[in-house]
Amino acid sequence: MRLLYNFLKDMKLSSKSFYFYVELAMALIMVFVLLFVVPENFDRQQTFYVHMNLEGVVADKVEEVLEGSDDNYILLDSREAVEAALEKERSSAGVSISMEGQKVIYDFILQGYEDEKFKNIIETVVKSEFAVKTPDYNRVTEIKVLDENAEKLNDRLNMLPIILTLNATFMGLFIIASYIFLDKDEGTIKALAVTPGYIWEYLLGKVGVIMVTGLASGFIVLIPLAGAKAHYIHFIPLLIMTNLFGSALGLFIASFFDTMAKAMGWLYGTIITLGFASISYYMPAFSPLVIRLLPSYPMLFAYREILLDKPDLSLVYMNVGLFGVLSVILFLFANGRYKKTLTV
Amino acid sequence: MIKVEGLYHSYTKDEKYAVKNANFEVEKGEVFGFLGPSGAGKSTTQGILTGLLQLQTGKVNVAGYDIRKLDRRMFNKIGMSFEQSNVYGKLTALENLEFYRKLFDVPTNDPKELLKIVGLEHVANKRAIEFSKGMKHRLTFVRSMLNNPELWFLDEPTTGLDPAIASQIKDIVKAKNDEGTTVFLTTHNMYVADELCNRVAFIIDGDIKLIDSPRNLKLQYGEKLVEVEYRVSDTLKKEKLSLIDEKDRLHLNEIINTGQVELMHTKEATLEEIFIKVTGRGLE
Repeated sequence: MRLLYNFLKDMKLSSKSFYFYVELAMALIMVFVLLFVVPENFDRQQTFYVHMNLEGVVADKVEEVLEGSDDNYILLDSREAVEAALEKERSSAGVSISMEGQKVIYDFILQGYEDEKFKNIIETVVKSEFAVKTPDYNRVTEIKVLDENAEKLNDRLNMLPIILTLNATFMGLFIIASYIFLDKDEGTIKALAVTPGYIWEYLLGKVGVIMVTGLASGFIVLIPLAGAKAHYIHFIPLLIMTNLFGSALGLFIASFFDTMAKAMGWLYGTIITLGFASISYYMPAFSPLVIRLLPSYPMLFAYREILLDKPDLSLVYMNVGLFGVLSVILFLFANGRYKKTLTV
Repeated sequence: MIKVEGLYHSYTKDEKYAVKNANFEVEKGEVFGFLGPSGAGKSTTQGILTGLLQLQTGKVNVAGYDIRKLDRRMFNKIGMSFEQSNVYGKLTALENLEFYRKLFDVPTNDPKELLKIVGLEHVANKRAIEFSKGMKHRLTFVRSMLNNPELWFLDEPTTGLDPAIASQIKDIVKAKNDEGTTVFLTTHNMYVADELCNRVAFIIDGDIKLIDSPRNLKLQYGEKLVEVEYRVSDTLKKEKLSLIDEKDRLHLNEIINTGQVELMHTKEATLEEIFIKVTGRGLE
């Protein structure tokens, strides 16, 4: 019962404080930005200015490729016209296609800021789209898609796992630490320490408040953006366990410090470090071991599963179990430390 | 009620002791005063006795519980009033007391009644953040009475209060002591200690220099003098007369018999004077 009284008291106190509304306000801002600023899918079309000096079958084939392309191709009369167009539109690229005997020459005109990766893509596109259409081209490369039913989220939904991880899960890390330091400042921890109540009851009361705000902010984001597409029944245990992990981590870090100012650097550094996992989430090709070891890495992919039509539930519940166990371990460590340091 | 043997405490975990080799006992029903200047080791000792600081060296038994193996049930028997007010500013006075009372496993006092005792019943539903310093202090004080403690720790209970409220607090302490509550009083205020305590300990630099009753100390260290102001014709005369010297005693008798005495004080030493005599240091 003391745990319940601690929780109710903390709910009352936090509902009268600024911190309680930070997470909820952030969630509302995210929803607004995603609904009204971010498009459902980003426009990936690039304008290509093309000058063609081709004849016969080759010209027909190249024109066929250009017409069927997703990108925006604009035909111009000369290479100079292509260069002038590129000067005006710095995000565009150009190509001058001509023939030297039987050879088709692709002369790409770029802005200068493009990296090797972009140049490689162009080369691949030429080979896969243009070259194969030319007569007598001998294809030696075969592309096989292993999972033809692999589901892709739209760009807006694809951002949700990052928002859920950073706001609903790890924002609590900061907030729970600030609650502890507020109590230290007010001296109320000492008054609690001379009652029959246990430190773990006090800490869990705070964890409960963070969980309420975490669940609220999670639903604030998920309902308007994912609607009926999200698997709420699996989302709830995942959010509870990851939120618990965030709170336990916040308690653990805060237990080493006596003021918010001293703890701030470590708390901020932790959030930033955990945020690195989102790089690998967006660019799976870049996922070194050091990033895969971050707790936020599996968390992001577990949240992604919640949004898919056919979620991989084993991944979701593996995360639920993993963060449940980690939370208990961190909480026990934090409790042990607070027993010695909370009233000093 | 309290038994302390060979207590040492160092914040730096070396030989710079905040408390060194403290030994004392507090009997049930006693008001025991811990008297010393700031930084003497009073609050450290009290912190260890109340479990707020970890016991490093020594044996401490409080209300029948060994502090080394702290049992949370001990806190059902003790109350602690802090020097610095520490109530939830965003909660009302009543909400503060209602929350704390639920943490005890023993019958508790009605918060409204307690607020009445310290004259805060009219602001029961006002947030503590809006309270004056004195009101917050009274709320902190009365919170320590919630569980009807058998052993009551009071840390500077009257410091910073106006005389009327301080007097009210002292009356409450006396009344609770009359009901059988043991009081461990930490203060640097000699008048409060003198008025309330059955025994006092003088502590300085972590060292307990002396433990005795204020009466015994005054008898031991005070001078047996009487200061008398009397009128002869229109002249006001002032004399200090010894109660031991036969000549002075006869002279005092003569002054009393003439009926001209206007003021007369026994000149026993104050606790502060005794403290300075014993420790060589003042209490501030």
